[in-house]
Amino acid sequence: MDLIFLQLLTGLAGASTLFLVAAGLTVIFGVTRVVNFSHGSLYMLGAFIAWSILSRLPREPEYFVLGVLGAALATAVIGALLEVLLLRRIYRAPELLQLLATFGMVLVVQDVALWIWGPVDLSLSRPRWLRGAVEVFGLRFPFYDLVLIVVGPVVLGLLLLLFHRTRWGLLVRAATQDRDMVAALGVDQRVLFTSVFALGAGLAGLGGALALPQGSANLHMDLSVIAEAFVVVVVGGMGSLTGAFLAALLIGVLQAFGIALVPKITLVLVFLVMAAVLVVRPHGLLGKPQAMARGEVEALAPIRPAGPALHVLGLVALVLAILAPFFAGPYLLSVLTEAAVAVLFAASLHVMMGPGGMASFGHAAWFGVGAYAAAFAAKGLGAGMAAGLLLAPFAAGALALLVGAFVVRMSGVYLAMLTLAFAQIAWAVAFQWVEVTGGDNGVLGVWPDAWAADKPTLYWLALLLCVGGALVLRRALFAPFGFALRATRDSALRAEAVGLDAYRLRWVAFGLAGAGAGLSGAVFAYAKGSVFPTYMAIPHSVDALVMVLLGGVQTMAGPIVGAVSFTVLHSWLLMGEFWRIKLGLLIMALVLAFPAGIAGAASAAWERWRGRAP
Amino acid sequence: MMLPPPALQVENLHAGYGGAKILRGVSFELAAGEVLVLLGRNGAGKSTTIKALMGLLRPTAGRVRLAGQDIAGAEPHRIARAGLGWVPEERRVFPDLTVAENLEVGRRPARAGLAPWTPERLFALFPNLAGLRARPGARISGGEQQMVAIARTLMGNPRVLLLDEPGEGLAPVIVDLMVEAILALKREGATVLLAEQSLAFAARVADRAAILETGRIVWEGAIDALLADTGARARHLQV
Amino acid sequence: MSVLVAEGLRKRFGANEAVAGVSLAVEPGEMLALIGPNGAGKSTCFNMLGGQLRPDEGVVRLGERDVTGMAPRHLAHLGVGRTFQITASFASMTVRENVQTALLAQARQAWRFWRAADAQHVAQAEALLSRVGMASQAARPAGVLAYGDLKRLELALALAGKPVLLLMDEPTAGMAPAERAALMALVRGIAREQGVAVLFTEHDMDVVFGHADRVLVLDRGRLIAQGTPAEVRADPRVRAVYLGTAA
Repeated sequence: MDLIFLQLLTGLAGASTLFLVAAGLTVIFGVTRVVNFSHGSLYMLGAFIAWSILSRLPREPEYFVLGVLGAALATAVIGALLEVLLLRRIYRAPELLQLLATFGMVLVVQDVALWIWGPVDLSLSRPRWLRGAVEVFGLRFPFYDLVLIVVGPVVLGLLLLLFHRTRWGLLVRAATQDRDMVAALGVDQRVLFTSVFALGAGLAGLGGALALPQGSANLHMDLSVIAEAFVVVVVGGMGSLTGAFLAALLIGVLQAFGIALVPKITLVLVFLVMAAVLVVRPHGLLGKPQAMARGEVEALAPIRPAGPALHVLGLVALVLAILAPFFAGPYLLSVLTEAAVAVLFAASLHVMMGPGGMASFGHAAWFGVGAYAAAFAAKGLGAGMAAGLLLAPFAAGALALLVGAFVVRMSGVYLAMLTLAFAQIAWAVAFQWVEVTGGDNGVLGVWPDAWAADKPTLYWLALLLCVGGALVLRRALFAPFGFALRATRDSALRAEAVGLDAYRLRWVAFGLAGAGAGLSGAVFAYAKGSVFPTYMAIPHSVDALVMVLLGGVQTMAGPIVGAVSFTVLHSWLLMGEFWRIKLGLLIMALVLAFPAGIAGAASAAWERWRGRAP
Repeated sequence: MMLPPPALQVENLHAGYGGAKILRGVSFELAAGEVLVLLGRNGAGKSTTIKALMGLLRPTAGRVRLAGQDIAGAEPHRIARAGLGWVPEERRVFPDLTVAENLEVGRRPARAGLAPWTPERLFALFPNLAGLRARPGARISGGEQQMVAIARTLMGNPRVLLLDEPGEGLAPVIVDLMVEAILALKREGATVLLAEQSLAFAARVADRAAILETGRIVWEGAIDALLADTGARARHLQV
Repeated sequence: MSVLVAEGLRKRFGANEAVAGVSLAVEPGEMLALIGPNGAGKSTCFNMLGGQLRPDEGVVRLGERDVTGMAPRHLAHLGVGRTFQITASFASMTVRENVQTALLAQARQAWRFWRAADAQHVAQAEALLSRVGMASQAARPAGVLAYGDLKRLELALALAGKPVLLLMDEPTAGMAPAERAALMALVRGIAREQGVAVLFTEHDMDVVFGHADRVLVLDRGRLIAQGTPAEVRADPRVRAVYLGTAA
């Protein structure tokens, strides 16, 4: 009984910091419609800055309060700067590119933090008053946890007052519903957006600073907190502060009990609860259906099959690829093998993202499941490569269908967040379930059969399976299935009215995408001879997104072009120290320069040129 | 005696979407206290003209002077502050805000020489709304939303009111109420630019009419002259 | 017998009863207009007939079959064609591909993964486009069509399933007077030639009185009048709650 009570209080304390982060995320999303991936980075910065301030201040309570507020304020200022420098330029971009640009920011902040604070976890030696305990119902309970439990509702109350009792709050709520109309009524959107972003960033910074005494400031806290914050925001209902508060309580308590009772499957439990909530309430606990934000009318150019010129070009490239082992050295060949894997990885994501209209931020999950399936076939079953290559797409596809069964009910950013949360959970399972996955050490010795062991054969196999797979997917997109899928994306209402089953079409596309990624993961596993949890990590999911967007979502050749150029770029430019900052800046530059992707920009240029030719 | 400057002066306005040119040199003037209706078929450029005036679409050429001040190409919030008040065709009432809050969002300081609008005055103009103050925008009828949209814009004390198809999609009895409201505004001295498909609606409220065709004004004159000119009506409006 | 029969339809949203017991029937080849003030329950009624909403009470029958609460895609296969107040088409496809997709869906051929779709049902698609006067625009992207043309494309999509019933929610909203008349004449022709029953809502009284065979008037969730256009027009109650000076 006592243990349960203590665990409950611990859960409530954790819920408070989670709420602060989620509240900032949801407020920023409400007004700017940007899902701010870098919100976790602001939380991390809040913790680091708090460490820098607090470790220099006297250790009395009043200085602690001042230091925490100072860190929150500093984070708010940083947030405002980020808004002015980056976000302001991308409000009109498609929401996916916005997500991607803010992920670029995540990478940049990681390297900047590494540069300033170094790689070591920084913890605060806690003063005595912070370590004290209070008697609650005859139980000794950590004082600081009680402080945190009080902070959550107090901040919620202050925010509700701010939004419902001030003119600024009224304008923010109005802008949440129709920002262009607010501007047309004479309100300067820029001031509103920057101030909202600063508020959200400040809340994240406050959360980070308050979390510091219980843990440490480290370079991993950004991605781990953002996944949790996404879950909280989705469960609570996008844009609802009270919903975020309830969801944070639910998730916080669940995690506290999960860790005490069933530590291994805590994260799975979180995902299941989220699934249950969303099945009953598709828009979250207190959420409302999200209308398309005004001013985001997306003009879709019709997708045309490749013309003869492109066919010839593609054929030449394919022949060159097949002949590559005769002129390429071993290093280039291994880069080309990776490129082949990337082609299927990106093409499978494109199926759901382009024609399916479902952007996944967790596509690496299926890649990883495929890789682990191959590893399991090799090490667990002792089976040959053929078995592994067969098992992988089925395992990944089946799991994708299972998860997709409720994920595809969502759309837009909800779906992106859910897929991200699921991938994060899959990653955590691979990381924690050491007995099966080897944890961080991975599974080694996943080698191909003897006949395919030499580099050229392995390369040809990768080419056959991956490029072949990508071409099969492409074919399906021009077949009735692809038309029907695009129809559901263009207008689900109309698609249902002509007799299409939108849900099942999206679901099958999701499963197909999972199976394709699974196969590419298995090929990669055999090519590398090993499987690690990082295959499923968020950055790998983002790689897939970058490839698709690099190529252009609305062109069918896009993912292929994107995958090859990204792999080459990666092995060429993005090696060594501070690769994150380079990749981050590259992503941001791409989003700012080519909102339609490289292939999209190229085809637009081609159309212009052809239009001018006599 | 010197004539006062026109409330709104539009000269050679060009605008379009992407490559498509919609407005190819629209010019007209609007005197203070006048109701001018822009007529024309779909795609002729009525809504585009309104959006270009409001800065929601950047004009590629031309001048727009509001009480002497050039506002062409400025940002929407600056244009709104300068005194153009826009009531969109889709009404765009904030669905989760109450009727009273919707009006508050529109509130801007009073303008010298004009009696400031207050919620009380607006509820007198639209008696239907008075009982709905605390009702969210999503839970009132289409006609009531149209009234809220007009009232919200009036809270900004505009010099010129831009009304985009205020009767569209409304029941005939509600259209009657809109006509009453516009006539009441006119009695208060309001200056109104109206975009409209329906000649019947225009005939009930407008002083003058201008007909747009493929991005240019092809007919301009008093509304009574248009009603009398069957040739022009058949040529430009197919009625 | 009637193509569509609805009996005692009711729908409540929270405290507000949007539709409070509506019964109606549409006959083959008939143009039936449903009119009434904004908020009278027209859209709710329409969405219950079209499967977008499930009635709280009441029965909807298509021919002999009880279709109450049936999903729109099943209704589509039973011969209910639908157009929407805010036009909905497939913007990333050409006009012809739009119709081909509808034909593939109606033929239950959406789950084919290999043969190229743009070579299928070509002649049928062209014929439908000719029927609505859109043949010359077959290769244009649907996303760039003018408003009136979009409405006609929607009609072609609705006709792809060889419907017995067309549900049209404000078919002429946002169109110019001349376009309105042309579209309604086209619909009327289809209704007459193929015996299709047409139920439509509309705010333009010229369209209602010029093209409907029968008119139903809805106010606060109930039918307050029905009859020929002339009868409805003369009804004092209808004049008070809806028509005003327009009649």
